[in-house]
Amino acid sequence: MKKRGKGIGATFYGTGYGNGFPDVSKAVVEIDKDGKVSIYSCATEVGQGAKTIMMQIAGEVLGLGVNDINFISEDTSLTQDSGTAAASRQTYNTGNAIKLAAESMKNKLLNLAKDYLKLNATLGLEMEDHKIYLKMEPEKCVYFNQLVEKENIKVSESFTAQSTQMDEETGQGSPYWPYTFNCYGVEVEVDTETGIVEVIKGVCAQDVGRAINPELVEGQIDGGFAMGLGYAIMEDLNCVNGKIHNNKFSKYLIPTALDMIDLQKIIVEDPESTAPFGAKGIGEPVMTAVTPAILNAVYDAIGVRFYEIPITPDKVLKAINDSLREGE
Amino acid sequence: MEPLKIVGNREIRVDGMAKVTGKAIYPQDIFLENALYGYTVRSTKVHAKIEVDIKKAEEIEGVVKILTHKDVTGMNAHGVLFKDQEVFCSQKVRRIGDPIAFVIAKSQKVAKEASKMVEIKYTELPAVFDPVEAMKEDAPIIHDTTNIRYYYKCRKGNVEEAFKKCDVIVEREYKTSMVEHAFLQTESGVSYVDKEGVINVCAATQYPHFDQLEVAEGLGVNKEQVRIINPAVGGAFGGREDITLQIHLALGAYLLKKPIRMTYSREESFYAHAKRHPIVMKYKTGADKNGKLIAMEATLIGDTGAYASWAINVMRKAGVHATGPYEIQNVAIDSYSVYTNNPYCGAMRGFGATQVPVASEQQMDIIAEKLGISPIEIRLRNCFKVGSKTATGQLLNESVPLKKCIEEVQNKLF
Repeated sequence: MKKRGKGIGATFYGTGYGNGFPDVSKAVVEIDKDGKVSIYSCATEVGQGAKTIMMQIAGEVLGLGVNDINFISEDTSLTQDSGTAAASRQTYNTGNAIKLAAESMKNKLLNLAKDYLKLNATLGLEMEDHKIYLKMEPEKCVYFNQLVEKENIKVSESFTAQSTQMDEETGQGSPYWPYTFNCYGVEVEVDTETGIVEVIKGVCAQDVGRAINPELVEGQIDGGFAMGLGYAIMEDLNCVNGKIHNNKFSKYLIPTALDMIDLQKIIVEDPESTAPFGAKGIGEPVMTAVTPAILNAVYDAIGVRFYEIPITPDKVLKAINDSLREGE
Repeated sequence: MEPLKIVGNREIRVDGMAKVTGKAIYPQDIFLENALYGYTVRSTKVHAKIEVDIKKAEEIEGVVKILTHKDVTGMNAHGVLFKDQEVFCSQKVRRIGDPIAFVIAKSQKVAKEASKMVEIKYTELPAVFDPVEAMKEDAPIIHDTTNIRYYYKCRKGNVEEAFKKCDVIVEREYKTSMVEHAFLQTESGVSYVDKEGVINVCAATQYPHFDQLEVAEGLGVNKEQVRIINPAVGGAFGGREDITLQIHLALGAYLLKKPIRMTYSREESFYAHAKRHPIVMKYKTGADKNGKLIAMEATLIGDTGAYASWAINVMRKAGVHATGPYEIQNVAIDSYSVYTNNPYCGAMRGFGATQVPVASEQQMDIIAEKLGISPIEIRLRNCFKVGSKTATGQLLNESVPLKKCIEEVQNKLF
């Protein structure tokens, strides 16, 4: 028999190294004689979309598109330290550093443009497509390359996040910032003859502060959901006495595209004032609510609660049989 | 919100085209002329004293050099928090998969064959695999003193008194599993010394500047003498935070002045990097008859396996997030990370905050059912909002749209 049930999970996640440990990101923005803009920052693209996000942040400030900027992030000899691509911190931390550096560059360019165009102030100057022009008189205009003389123009900025060390006796303090929130709900179908749990519907309401790129947010939700699904019902190293028995993908099962469903993704925006354009980190939060939502839905479906994961078919079947026996 | 031009757009990812057309360069795609091949000899025992004899393996045709702890020119240790992992084990192994030697040969085949000829005499030591057992005084000691690597304690209000006022109390024990990142690209890399004498390591990592530091320490050279090149990364999820092959590759190139390359098999990759901490979670949660949470007590015991890696930060994060996103006035949380002889655990997506909701969110549903209210309702009655304080006393002064998230799911799913 196939039984259906619904369940939810609500979670929060604090960004960053935490507990008062200095969490620093650095960024350099450079413009060369051809007016080409480069950003140097060692934020690793691990697939989460860091390169695109960083370019959107810099592009927003400098009036450029994502493909107008050269992003150098792959070489320790060319870049300064921007911390690890972890703790959901790159958008918030390095995003802030890049935004600061881009703003500093913009300020520098506007002042150079003011002098070049013989204006009294930088007021009313607009930056777009590698040029700076006066909004009330667009003919008064200068290109980035005209502002670069002998040396490339270079600015460097860094961002340090705020957190405090917790008290050793009470654990009181402000260990992380910002916090990201979510609530995910799923509907499952449990086959009581095979023990197979299938997720048939998923609704993911994810706080993001502000979405820099909704497509990438949705991609993260899909990826995080898949990982939470695997954690709940599939992934098992079968580690006995220190030995991993399932050490290949024929034995260690992870979700594939065939196990995924079309999720209903709801991006909830509530900008965070200390974040770049209000954007919080979501790389990890997209996973945290999935597993409990599935476990709660399975309970709703078959009336059996599981206190250990993963709930592979053999365990589900055994639990169903045990509960039937108890009922007799 | 302020109107923006590029932020908020569905821009196509800038690295997307290269990745879908196969043009992106991953470490395994890099071929250097006359590169030698490296292969790691690993422990097959969980806890043992070792004696290593490389003589027979060295004599094999095509073997160039076999590195052991004796060849480490700098510090024979690394680790993101504590330097408790050895570049090559010197006295003992603490888990299956600990690196003992590194065979450098003219081909992958020879390197692998020769690795089987490296003789390791194991004198087995008592081992422990259950973190609760490992906390006991008479448990086998895995490092120098106690197996308890870290303890986080959180106290807010008065839990004992508060439980007396509860109309419903739910006590349960939960266990999460040890899991694998299963990134698509296994660990792979090349190393070489350039004309300026800089040691270059090209391998996928999450934190190039930290790898630079650890490689320099392992070699005993200045940081500036090491360059980390981080090409396309085939997934990470926390599994590329600790050092795996970087120091081995760098040391080989540094000593031989020849390029070296290597790629782990999937099976080796399973043992090479950290796993997600399994956590035993004992919860006691109490609420009044209206479903308002009054008190919560949690003991979290995290198994960090043979090495600490990020154990402190993971179990701290688990402790801080143990309440779930709810206001509770009386809280007592004890969170431990404990050494065992299991594969070592470290960073993985969610980092402690993925494990605790398996317990805290089921507690919510159990309480709701006992009180006859819905899972949505109990969460709405307790959820964080602007002005709430967390279990650590931190004020959430802005951007707390949790209620909105719960209501969205309520409207779309039920």
